Amino acid sequence: MNSIIEAIHKGIEKSGVDRKKISIPSDIPFEPETVKSLGVDYFQVPRGRAIAFGSGLKLGNPDLKVIPVVGDLMTLGGNHFVHGTRRNMELLVLCINNFVYHKIAGKSVSVVTEAFSPYSTFEEPFNFPHLGNSCGAVYTARWTALHTSELAESIAEALHKRGMSMIEILAPGPSYYRYITHLDSELMQFYFDNSILKNNEDPRNVAITADKKIVVGKFTDKERPTFIDSYNTQHKKILGDEFTPHGPVFDKAGGGNG
Amino acid sequence: MKADQKSVLTGVYYIDGDVAAGYGALAAGCKFVAGYPITPSTEAFEAVCHRGPKVGTVFIQMEDELGSISAILGAVWSGVKTMTITSGPGYSLMQEAIGFGAMLETPFVLLNIQRGGPSTGVPTKTGQADMMQSRWGSHGDYEVIAIAPDSPQEMFDYTIKAFNLAEKYRCPVMIMSDECVGHMTEKVVIPDADKIYVEPRRFYTGPAADYRPYKPDPDLVPKMAKAGEGLNLYITGIVHDENGYPVSDEKYKSIYVKRLVDKIRLNKNEIIELKEEGTDGADVIVVSYGISSRVAVKGVEMARQKGVKVGTLRLVTVWPFPDDRINELAKKTKAFVVPEINYGQVVYDVARCAHGHASVVLVPHGGAGVHNPDDVADAIEFAVKQEKPLEGVHEFKTRLEKSVFEGGFKLKE
Repeated sequence: MNSIIEAIHKGIEKSGVDRKKISIPSDIPFEPETVKSLGVDYFQVPRGRAIAFGSGLKLGNPDLKVIPVVGDLMTLGGNHFVHGTRRNMELLVLCINNFVYHKIAGKSVSVVTEAFSPYSTFEEPFNFPHLGNSCGAVYTARWTALHTSELAESIAEALHKRGMSMIEILAPGPSYYRYITHLDSELMQFYFDNSILKNNEDPRNVAITADKKIVVGKFTDKERPTFIDSYNTQHKKILGDEFTPHGPVFDKAGGGNG
Repeated sequence: MKADQKSVLTGVYYIDGDVAAGYGALAAGCKFVAGYPITPSTEAFEAVCHRGPKVGTVFIQMEDELGSISAILGAVWSGVKTMTITSGPGYSLMQEAIGFGAMLETPFVLLNIQRGGPSTGVPTKTGQADMMQSRWGSHGDYEVIAIAPDSPQEMFDYTIKAFNLAEKYRCPVMIMSDECVGHMTEKVVIPDADKIYVEPRRFYTGPAADYRPYKPDPDLVPKMAKAGEGLNLYITGIVHDENGYPVSDEKYKSIYVKRLVDKIRLNKNEIIELKEEGTDGADVIVVSYGISSRVAVKGVEMARQKGVKVGTLRLVTVWPFPDDRINELAKKTKAFVVPEINYGQVVYDVARCAHGHASVVLVPHGGAGVHNPDDVADAIEFAVKQEKPLEGVHEFKTRLEKSVFEGGFKLKE
């Protein structure tokens, strides 16, 4: 987890976004020291509700940059992701995938599941970039805890995307988890041996399966109106001067926030 | 602070309770509403969707009630006033986040237009069976404020009051209305903005380095902050100390969780609002709330015509419960009659506070309708005839119950 925090830190640094304006709602607990060092506002929310909570933060104050951090394959709250993406809510979702539901390459990583699946796992995971892309995400990418500099680049880039961005991060869970599963350098070596970089790969082809290498890279990068854009356009069209647009208005000609 | 005239639709209207609550929220300065439509609360959400964009109130129809309540909690922390609107099944889905809101001391208003339950129940008809759920529906210790309006005018007035109480005590405030009041159409007078008091948020204004999210003021309520101000907030649903940092020691739990309870309990005299009529020297006092209080009026009138001295006590705020006042009245009266549209919820609190000094008679109703005033009148007459206080809560057999069950179910010997 620490390497991911570091990547978030570097990503924010690179993006040039004012840290004061960044809020991180998360269903994964962060240490207070971590949050203080990031210099952001942090909310630890009930399991699975980070994206919905983040939507409220963004709609309440559109000046905020909101980075919901979600875990556990979004088993709780996956629907918030699907609909948040459909609406193109302006959020950067960091989806920490800790393999609770995975079997990869038929070995090694099945170790990670020992605690909760003593007889190994048999379920299929999501293909997150494909899920995000098909729901309409404007940015999807996948990195592992080994690819910290690429992850930081991705975060910096996604922070400037207007709309729902999603970065899947393959990583072990909390340190406790790593402790009980005796996975540390072993996992990093596993990532090194079993990941393959394919930028702009069709998200349909990046499912994590037992017999293929893990595809990492940036898969989606496109534009479409955000929820707030559509909200403003629609009400302006019908209500005219009776309606005052909400938040900074996106000026297409100027290409930035007006 | 006075309300913003732009958000106050001053005028005389003929509208239903749901719409009046929606207009009340706008008048109170609510700037964000997230909801998921559910009968019989839909009209309130529609009112906000219709008027909101004209007065700068943003609305969103979320994917479900879990999303709705999570979104409004997020919006509160971005600095605005918020509300969500629901009914029975949606209310059940919201429970986890209500406790989260209470733990974070997040001010928000939840409008519950109660319908028949349990489960899907009778979606289009009335009920008052969520009252206990409103008090402790989420896990863990916390206290909320619950208000039960009984007319469209009150739906407007008390929605504003609900926002004010939420800001003052930084807690969830439930408007526990019901389908009858929600769909009842009556005259509603919306005054000028300068006649409406709006409680401002108690924002922290000191230096950022000194900010402690949960350091209480003398009234036990801490100052509020918002995201994006450089305060480096650490806000968590884990039991936390004054800095907001997680603690798990039993000593801390008793300090910080106790305050969530005490800030309501110790301020209850300022929060509680009751409407009493003729309780001095009354032999029977009818305790009621919401739509049941309006039905009870007729029953009380009938009993008075027969010469019984009856008083009425209406719980405008149901939670926190007026323990002291009920206890005081119990020593002076023979009986309390409690009509409510459930099989006994608030009546048990009346019995608890009566301490056996007076009989407590429940006039139940299963929902999907309101009481027959004759039953309320009969229950009053029955109660006044008792030589000494009845034990526990006596369930009065209403005409409806008798006609359906012939005296109700009995366990086989």
